[in-house]
Amino acid sequence: MNHYIFKMPDLGEGTVDAEIVAWHTQPGDAVSEDQLIVEVMTDKAAVEVPAPVSGRVVSITGAPGDKVAVGSPLIVFDLGATAAVQAQAVPEPTVLPGGRAPAVAITAAPTGAGAPAVQFAAAPTGVRAPAAAASAAAAAAELGASQPGRTGRVKTSPATRRRAREAGIDLTTVAGSGPGGRILRDDLAAATAQTGSPAAPETAPATSEIKVIGLRRLIAERMSEAKRSIPHFSYVEEVDVTELESLRAHLNATRPADAGSLSYLPLVVVALTRVLESFPQCNVLYDAARGVLVRHRAVHVGIATQTPDGLKVPVVRHAESLGLWQLAGEIRRLAERARSAKATREELTGSTITVTSLGKLGGIASTPIINAPEVAIIGLNKALERPVVHQGTVVVRRIMNLSSSFDHRFVDGYDAAAMIQALKERLEHPATIFIPR
Amino acid sequence: MASMNMIQALNSAMDIMLRDDPSVVLMGEDIGYFGGVFRATEGLQRKYGEHRVLDTPIAEGGIVAAAIGMSLNGLRPVAEIQFADYIYPGFDQIVSELARIRFRTAGEFFAPVTIRTPCGGGIRGGQTHSQSPEGIFTHVSGIKVVMPSNPYDAKGLLITCIEDDDPVVFFEPKRLYNGPFDGDPAKPAVPWSAHPKGQVDEGHYRVPLGKADIVRAGADVTIITYGTMVFVAAAAAAAMQVDAEIIDLRSLVPLDVDTVCSSVRKTGRCIVAHEATRFSGFGAELVSMIQEECFWDLEAPIQRVAGWDTPYPHAFEWEYFPGQARVARALKAALESA
Repeated sequence: MNHYIFKMPDLGEGTVDAEIVAWHTQPGDAVSEDQLIVEVMTDKAAVEVPAPVSGRVVSITGAPGDKVAVGSPLIVFDLGATAAVQAQAVPEPTVLPGGRAPAVAITAAPTGAGAPAVQFAAAPTGVRAPAAAASAAAAAAELGASQPGRTGRVKTSPATRRRAREAGIDLTTVAGSGPGGRILRDDLAAATAQTGSPAAPETAPATSEIKVIGLRRLIAERMSEAKRSIPHFSYVEEVDVTELESLRAHLNATRPADAGSLSYLPLVVVALTRVLESFPQCNVLYDAARGVLVRHRAVHVGIATQTPDGLKVPVVRHAESLGLWQLAGEIRRLAERARSAKATREELTGSTITVTSLGKLGGIASTPIINAPEVAIIGLNKALERPVVHQGTVVVRRIMNLSSSFDHRFVDGYDAAAMIQALKERLEHPATIFIPR
Repeated sequence: MASMNMIQALNSAMDIMLRDDPSVVLMGEDIGYFGGVFRATEGLQRKYGEHRVLDTPIAEGGIVAAAIGMSLNGLRPVAEIQFADYIYPGFDQIVSELARIRFRTAGEFFAPVTIRTPCGGGIRGGQTHSQSPEGIFTHVSGIKVVMPSNPYDAKGLLITCIEDDDPVVFFEPKRLYNGPFDGDPAKPAVPWSAHPKGQVDEGHYRVPLGKADIVRAGADVTIITYGTMVFVAAAAAAAMQVDAEIIDLRSLVPLDVDTVCSSVRKTGRCIVAHEATRFSGFGAELVSMIQEECFWDLEAPIQRVAGWDTPYPHAFEWEYFPGQARVARALKAALESA
């Protein structure tokens, strides 16, 4: 037995352990090099780990949700088994040129659909097929894989196969009404209706359990830690954004062809970078281990972003040096990458202050939780037209509230309020957003 | 905004680049004194001089080789190959030299060369004036491959390509120079002035590479195409009353995988269409990529519409050209109940 022990790799700067999210292989499986074997999660980024070698999996370490230290054994492969199969399969004289197992298996299919790539369609395939079938069967037997009977194959589209799998329907039990007995989408729908979908109310359990692992666990830990250790001081102020809205509408109407439409978010971020020049105590990371507040001249703005996996905070680096359109583009790009789970670890870390906006769901006030080790988070509430009293008469103005939280250990209420007032000043006189201190 | 045909739009792009960037030079056969066989460079030598707009000998290998040397010494050449059918003498220079400069020198040198060349059929040009060799170039790592389908994109893409620091082969579907063409040669010609994409910004603007254009949004089937076939496919889908999503790739390399795949995931059905021959064509790459990325969303096999696997013929052009009937047949196959 020739064993290969694969240890948990170092997946990034300072990573000490990684959490198992999902195994794509189990002991006994034969895997080939570069096949994805396990999905793990560090800090905030999920990483898919490919097999470093081809072989049979002997054992794996950790169930989904478990943390495995970097450098400790993750998977043990047995390299002997596969090598033995290859040793027998390769010298087999009947194997086609480039006779790897998959190519042989295709040729062996009695459907005759897949002619070998090296041939033109006119060449007779029948001559080679029986010999190839023998070696494919031998290879299958060696691998211990139970090849489904090819004669029992069903004809249907990939999308219908997926739907059947998701509904838990065995397609061999479904009658096909399409050409050549093909199972149509409607056939599957009829079969699903007959058997009753697995999610039917009478069979569904009264409760279901969802393990708190992966990103959800990370969010939970961070939220608890921030709320437990930071005395939050929350402050709500209303901002008259009537002029800002008019600027926004004008910019949108005249925007460059390659720019997306502008929301309030980038405008607020630009204003925030200006205001922070005068309030450096809000653009701070608290290093609890050393008892030091680290003031940052650069403003790296975390943008709280809802994704299918949960809350993520991609980071616009050096927001203070970006123009409005650049900033808007960068926010859009990062949000998209976070949503499609493509954001890198670097794109999800290193913020010095965070902005959170729920857009149309913004409500009138919120109590955002600080993204530790930062000391401030700025929340945007919904902008809408309201009657306000202006010089004795009621007029319609567009009002948006800002709901912000500060770490009261390091930011005094006076400074926090002054900072938000400065931000309000800028937003109510939008030209000043673009004027440095 | 001004009404322009594709020739005028390309001329405007080169005019602006010559004006704004002293390192830009044009070169090619008959492009200077004569103004180009399709008039794309008309007036530019008179305006910028013989040292900026160069007439070259009839030697495509030499044109590309000279452009490479000029680019390595700080210029930004835009070389015209009079017809894509004549690009092959320059092929070795493109593949073995131009495409590799950045890689070979570990990034120390780069070659900002744009090679413009008219391509495609539908003009009774026979085998030496009708070819669509874009797929051959997409197979060469290190060069970008672009093909606009209208004046607006043509100008914005050409400016982007000239400003790009890496080599681009820029194919111009010559049947579209004077107006959109839906594949029916019996119909009277339509000018670009009647089409919204014939309205072109007179100033400098870019159309990005690697960003496909969704010409028409639809729900039933995705048609992925570029160049002349954008209009042929649109006409076929309209005639069949199919709610097709039509995607104009605009740049083949880099390819906008996201736009293509999100559309196919939405519709579950797809056809790819190009004028070039079918076997080992760019459509084959699209089909492979789509099945890799979207297999479990496919309701039906992906169909290909392409030129027949023969040299472009002298006769029977409209039997050869993949017109509306062939697109319709593919649409029917893709939409068969599944």
